[in-house]
Amino acid sequence: MMMEETKKQDNFLQLKDITTTFGSIVALNNVNFSVKKGEVVCLIGPSGCGKSTLLRTANWLTPPDKGTVSLDGVLVGSESNKNMNLNEMKVLNGIRARMGMVFQQFNVWPHLDALENVVRAQLVVAKRSREEAEKKATKMLFDVGLGEKIHDWPDNLSGGQKQRLGIARALAMDPVLMLLDEPTSALDPELVSEVLNVLKRLANEGMTMIIVTHELGFASQVADRVAFMEDGKIIEEGPPNVILKSPKTQRLRLFLDKLNITSFTPS
Amino acid sequence: MALDFSIFVEYGPRLLIGFWLTIKIVIAAIILGMPWGLVLALGRRSRFLIPRLAATSFVEIFRNTPFIIQVFLFFYVLPFYGIRFPAEYVGTLALAAFGSAYFAEIIRGGIDAVSKGQLESARAIGMSDWQAMKNIVLPQTLSIILPPLTNQTLSLIKESAILSTITVNELTMSGIRVQGEIFRPFEVFIMVALLYWGFNESIAFLMRKIERKANKARTSNQNIAGKTTSISRGASR
Repeated sequence: MMMEETKKQDNFLQLKDITTTFGSIVALNNVNFSVKKGEVVCLIGPSGCGKSTLLRTANWLTPPDKGTVSLDGVLVGSESNKNMNLNEMKVLNGIRARMGMVFQQFNVWPHLDALENVVRAQLVVAKRSREEAEKKATKMLFDVGLGEKIHDWPDNLSGGQKQRLGIARALAMDPVLMLLDEPTSALDPELVSEVLNVLKRLANEGMTMIIVTHELGFASQVADRVAFMEDGKIIEEGPPNVILKSPKTQRLRLFLDKLNITSFTPS
Repeated sequence: MALDFSIFVEYGPRLLIGFWLTIKIVIAAIILGMPWGLVLALGRRSRFLIPRLAATSFVEIFRNTPFIIQVFLFFYVLPFYGIRFPAEYVGTLALAAFGSAYFAEIIRGGIDAVSKGQLESARAIGMSDWQAMKNIVLPQTLSIILPPLTNQTLSLIKESAILSTITVNELTMSGIRVQGEIFRPFEVFIMVALLYWGFNESIAFLMRKIERKANKARTSNQNIAGKTTSISRGASR
């Protein structure tokens, strides 16, 4: 019993034997990847290496050709049920609601004001009352520092504010896991820290997170584990101080060298 | 040829009766055709083969054949299968079917113009296909499709003149009949043209107003009843 409990905790999110192809391109090549509850994992690697695809496999937004995904022991999807019936879709939607996703391009909803962006899914997916949803949304917006912007339109928010709105929208659904796809890559440099600060707070609160990022400094601060991907495979993974300071493989060394040259990180 | 204005006064009312029927037919065709167009647009984007095939065939057939032939087919072929409606009803159905094919393409284009990330973020938060469409995609589609939707509506008003060929006593038919009695084509058809023009201008005016309203809603940043200031309590980061 005890054994099973710990095993479940170790494989809170489990991606098994994932292979994904887009035409002739192999985006993920038989990848196995799992995340513990409360763990923060940063995925790094050159563009096109499959890290975003891996993230989008977790909530079945990009269904793989082969492999299975499960969350907390519940099947999210497998290659055998690619053409889901309505019931399976319903189960998947229920699971997705508990996996908060944050996008590189924010994808906030421009026809709804900030509050309504955070309210809408609570109403239609979580079936909360409007009163309850607005209360929760207001709190979430305060928590990400948008307390004064709750009735602003997304078009009038800065990139950093939009991304924090996207984070608040996901958090309002009480997620058990957050998936963040390059959350700061589309931001002006001076706006990056306001988003990273929110993520640091989440990490400190024990949120389980998978973050695709190029911010190695941030990764070394918050990540419990860093996974380096290339050509659709996880090449090397481990604690950030090991992975980022003394890489074992030549490919990771080259990758880190390149990043250091462009970002002038003092050594 | 000098205009005889007394004809306007004497025969105007008869044309107005036909005009009233044109208005009713066009409005009924829009009320039927727009929702059906939405169904067709969603059908064409369906994940399932049969609705996709059915919707695509419908749109392609009605878009790629002359409206007048469609009207003849509705009018002469339906009775063969025992379906008998008054000519106005048949005409309205034909106009709705024809219009819906174009409405469908406009709506489909509007849906495609909303960025893919919008649908994706809605799906990722747990919305079903239909919830995502209804809450996130379609509201954003509206401001994109209003101008082409207006154009199509105006063109539908003009196409309704073809219903005169199947004995529907609408505006054009009334004009032809009056002209047949008094042989004053100039006055009669100027009146007919003016009425169509007036109808089109009013629809265009109405749609421009709706458009402005739709665009204003999301760019203005006025806080609703000053709610923001009462809640704000400094940046809480």
